[in-house]
Amino acid sequence: MTGDRPLGLVLLEMILLVLLGPLVTGIIQKLKARLQCRQGAGILQPYRDLAKLFRKGTVQADTASGFFRAIPVLVLAATVAAGALVPVLRAGPPAFPLGDALMLLGLLALARFLTAIGAFDAGGAFGGMGASREMTIAPLVEPVLMMVVFSTAVAAGTTELGALAAHRGTSWIFAWRAADFLGFAAMLVLLPAETGRIPVDNPDTHLELTMLHEGMLLEHSGPGLGCMLLASHTRQVVTLGLVAALFFPIAADGAGALDLLLGAGAFAAKILVLAIFLALVESSYAKLRLFRVPQYLGIGFVCALTALALRIL
Amino acid sequence: MSAETVQTIIDDLGALLLFTMILIVAASQISRAIYAVAAQSFLIAIAGAVLATATGNADLWVIAGVTLVVKASLLPWILHWVVRRMNVRREVEPVIPIAATLALAVAVVVMSFHLSASLGSVRQAITGNALPVGIALTLTGVLVMATRKTALSQMVGLFASENGIFFTAMAVTQGMPLIIEIGVILDVILAALVMTIMVLRVRSTVDADIADLDRLKG
Repeated sequence: MTGDRPLGLVLLEMILLVLLGPLVTGIIQKLKARLQCRQGAGILQPYRDLAKLFRKGTVQADTASGFFRAIPVLVLAATVAAGALVPVLRAGPPAFPLGDALMLLGLLALARFLTAIGAFDAGGAFGGMGASREMTIAPLVEPVLMMVVFSTAVAAGTTELGALAAHRGTSWIFAWRAADFLGFAAMLVLLPAETGRIPVDNPDTHLELTMLHEGMLLEHSGPGLGCMLLASHTRQVVTLGLVAALFFPIAADGAGALDLLLGAGAFAAKILVLAIFLALVESSYAKLRLFRVPQYLGIGFVCALTALALRIL
Repeated sequence: MSAETVQTIIDDLGALLLFTMILIVAASQISRAIYAVAAQSFLIAIAGAVLATATGNADLWVIAGVTLVVKASLLPWILHWVVRRMNVRREVEPVIPIAATLALAVAVVVMSFHLSASLGSVRQAITGNALPVGIALTLTGVLVMATRKTALSQMVGLFASENGIFFTAMAVTQGMPLIIEIGVILDVILAALVMTIMVLRVRSTVDADIADLDRLKG
């Protein structure tokens, strides 16, 4: 099987994604702080948090089973594996059978499922509530994400992310067809939900009754919590990478060192644009009531379905 | 501009028009729906300008300009004025839940595409997606009118529906005679004024809304 991305490159991209995940969170938090006229913590703060957590000991609830300890590692592993499927430095199909965008969504869903299981296992009331809410929102988000993927995959004839990005080519918004506008709109509606941000979830509070994702992390501590946080940073950058691969143009076609460097710069720029979007949305909207969330996600659903209709009919 | 570029641009504008329509259906605050209608009219003005450059039809420039002034600025301003005057913030009050309306909107969009695909030779004559998008916009506008209780939201639905008809007419015929377009615009202005006065009058005399007016008295 021939492809554009050898094993070494894919591994390098995966490691880069995991290493840069916390930085993206840091940038979003800094932007939010500046938008709210605060000084805010430095953009490296998530790294410091992680370093602190990995030095700490672990405390576990009496009711938790042995499986509970394995949860953070499994969640991190699933998320990082999803990261391997995102093209970072250059587009094009990988040189070996790796998995496609559906695999990526499946791995993210697996991580979500494991997180919810962990929250139930610990037996805390907050965890159970967070998990049940997360599981209410997830079925509204994941099918729509798949439809967005399909609406671009129909045009490209493949669901492999690298090939999808290569199909998008180097041309900018002028090459967008009608369906791409609606698909991108659906994606922008879903992004806050998938990355656990306002208006669907609030990433900053641990003790609010409206929280989804943070509620499930309450029972984890020390390195386990560190793994969970690293997984959610990675998940965020993976989701942004998915959007970038589906809708944004690639920087260069070649495989030379200069082209790879250009690709890395372009990827950083794309992620930065989406991060700024998330920060703006988080600063300008209030969190929705839980029962209003389906209506909000409904906009994404309708947009994605219309995009698919434009593509097929 | 080549005919193909024009077609792509009109298709893209059609997609954005559908997006604004979805926003109108999903809006839970009347002011957001009004902004969405304004954006929709603005997109239609752009479509008019694009068609004007493509066909060299000077009438279309006039129509694009009039659309921009009247439908993208004046009508939203009137609607906002009525909202302020009536002192309401959340004046949407759907008959059925908004999520259900969204599902119906999806059905309408899919149906319009299916319908215009089955038109066969007529469809062949009209390039691109202008016809199904126009039908979808018109029907969704009617859907908005049918599923809202308050007069203001129904006005928004009417304008959205009218936008759909306007877009279809413009894209399909490559510019109707100027006199007809001007007549349509004048009708819209008159309708807006009459409805505005009606809404304010009904509100001030009986303190009721359209949904309460369900019995005929002889």
